[in-house]
Amino acid sequence: MSNDFDPKIVAFCCKYCAYTAADLAGSMRLDYPPTVRIVQLLCSGRADVLHLLKAFENGADAVFVAG
Amino acid sequence: MIVADRKPIEDIKEMLTPYKKILMVGCGTCVSVCMAGGEKEVGVLASELRMIDKMENKNWEITETTIQRQCEREYIEPLEEKFKEADIVLSMACGVGVQYMVEVFPEKIVLPALNTTFYGTTVSEGEWEERCAGCGECVLHLTLGVCPVARCSKGLYNGPCGGTDMGKCEVSKELDCAWYLIHNRMKDLGKIEMMGTFIKPRSWKQSLNGGPRKRVREDLKK
Amino acid sequence: MKGGSNLEKILTKGEFAVTGELGPPKGNDVEAVKKKAGMLKGYVDAVNITDNQTAVVRMSSISASAICLQEGLEPVMQMVCRDRNRIAMQSDIFGATALGISNMLCLSGDHQNFGNQANGKNVFDIDSIQLINTVKRLRDEKKLLDSDEEIEGEVKMFIGAAANPFAEPYEYRPYRLKKKVEAGVDFIQTQCIYDMKMFKEWMKVVRDLGLHEKCYILAGVTPLKSGGMTKYMANNVPGIIIPDEIIKRMTSAPKGEGAKEGIKLCCEQIQELREIEGVHGIHLMAIEWEHRAGEIVEQAGLLPRPKVD
Repeated sequence: MSNDFDPKIVAFCCKYCAYTAADLAGSMRLDYPPTVRIVQLLCSGRADVLHLLKAFENGADAVFVAG
Repeated sequence: MIVADRKPIEDIKEMLTPYKKILMVGCGTCVSVCMAGGEKEVGVLASELRMIDKMENKNWEITETTIQRQCEREYIEPLEEKFKEADIVLSMACGVGVQYMVEVFPEKIVLPALNTTFYGTTVSEGEWEERCAGCGECVLHLTLGVCPVARCSKGLYNGPCGGTDMGKCEVSKELDCAWYLIHNRMKDLGKIEMMGTFIKPRSWKQSLNGGPRKRVREDLKK
Repeated sequence: MKGGSNLEKILTKGEFAVTGELGPPKGNDVEAVKKKAGMLKGYVDAVNITDNQTAVVRMSSISASAICLQEGLEPVMQMVCRDRNRIAMQSDIFGATALGISNMLCLSGDHQNFGNQANGKNVFDIDSIQLINTVKRLRDEKKLLDSDEEIEGEVKMFIGAAANPFAEPYEYRPYRLKKKVEAGVDFIQTQCIYDMKMFKEWMKVVRDLGLHEKCYILAGVTPLKSGGMTKYMANNVPGIIIPDEIIKRMTSAPKGEGAKEGIKLCCEQIQELREIEGVHGIHLMAIEWEHRAGEIVEQAGLLPRPKVD
């Protein structure tokens, strides 16, 4: 794989922890790659295999669930 | 319930290759409970197929639907419009469902997405085991509730054979010896003398050997 | 006489019987059968002809039995329930008796998973105890299973079966033999015996049930060839128990002396088995060691074999 590969990543984040952490990172002026797209969930327990597959179908190279 | 397993994706892909408009039909009863062909599994398979479609330019158009039961006409009939629009139907029910949809809509080809495996139960989360062979002549009263037809690898009526090993079957250490279980139950329930009863050769007429079986209740017939 | 075989006559006379075992070739090599038969002739009273043992395809038991008969060695035709339904079984029994076979052994059969046709479908239309009863009905009532129609001719068969004292549930094993006796078995051959204490306990229950007076019991012995084979059998063969002292004795035999030690041990076991009340003979399973069977029988003091008419 060449070095210019810029993976598109979809992050499914819990509103109360992971998403808040991302928010805090923003207010601390920390940056993360723009190719990471965050989807907020009310709870990471809501993440379903169909959501993950949908992300892949729409072109994601990777997905992760954080909560 | 009837337990089934999804066929490998490669096999499903090959079956669908000649077609364009695919109607996927899940079944909301047995195969939903054993997580092989319910609404969720239809979604997962549809997603896999759409990815294959994108990567391999199959030109598939996939429609998903799940009905309560594919083994009853009144649940199948409302699919008429969807059937009309489809080139092919991919059923995620057991073999009964596939065949009954064909009987209701004979002009369509219905493909099986599952391998129907057995009549069984959920023994623990994600684990199902066979319990009944549907052999047509129940002997559970003679074996105190453990079926030798479905659960002994040789289907012995007068077991156990000499291959019992630490309570397991000679075929695999993963399998309990059915006759070992039967023996222990008889012993525990104070009915060990039942192990001495010779079970005579049965008739297999009630089983599959006489062609497809049929049950009629004259009092219910119209 | 039930089958009128040499084996039956020897047992009826109260002589200590010796049966051997012959595995047919994995093909149609007649010479292979004749060669093995030649090695056993004169040393055993009858020889078991295995029926596709371990589910590996071999020359049929019925054909190899017929070849043995021509060679002057009496066969005990084994028949397993795995491969035939009741039509084929009864037909083969007619055929076997027509060819002069007069002993048979009714077995369930090793599961096809063990063999070279693991994708095959098994039959098990009837089980081994039901088979015993079916043969008895053919012989004594001259009737087929589930049929009142009289058969043509007579089925003279000395009916045998297997018994395994070393398979669980141990306490049930003598009662399973009782079931076989009630189904009509005339003689039984046991699984290979290494644990003498356990076998004696089993025999005690067998005697208490009076089974030793209702059928002839041939105690199974298999000579161990080496320490390696001993360990393999102890760990991998279901239904065989080998006590630690035997494993120790076999593994500590000097290099190259394993076979000698195994034969010595086997002869000692035979002596011990002869002393047990209710044991009417031995069944010597010298697996792929037919050429040493004579030596074992001789060393065990079982020669010459009795002549009966």
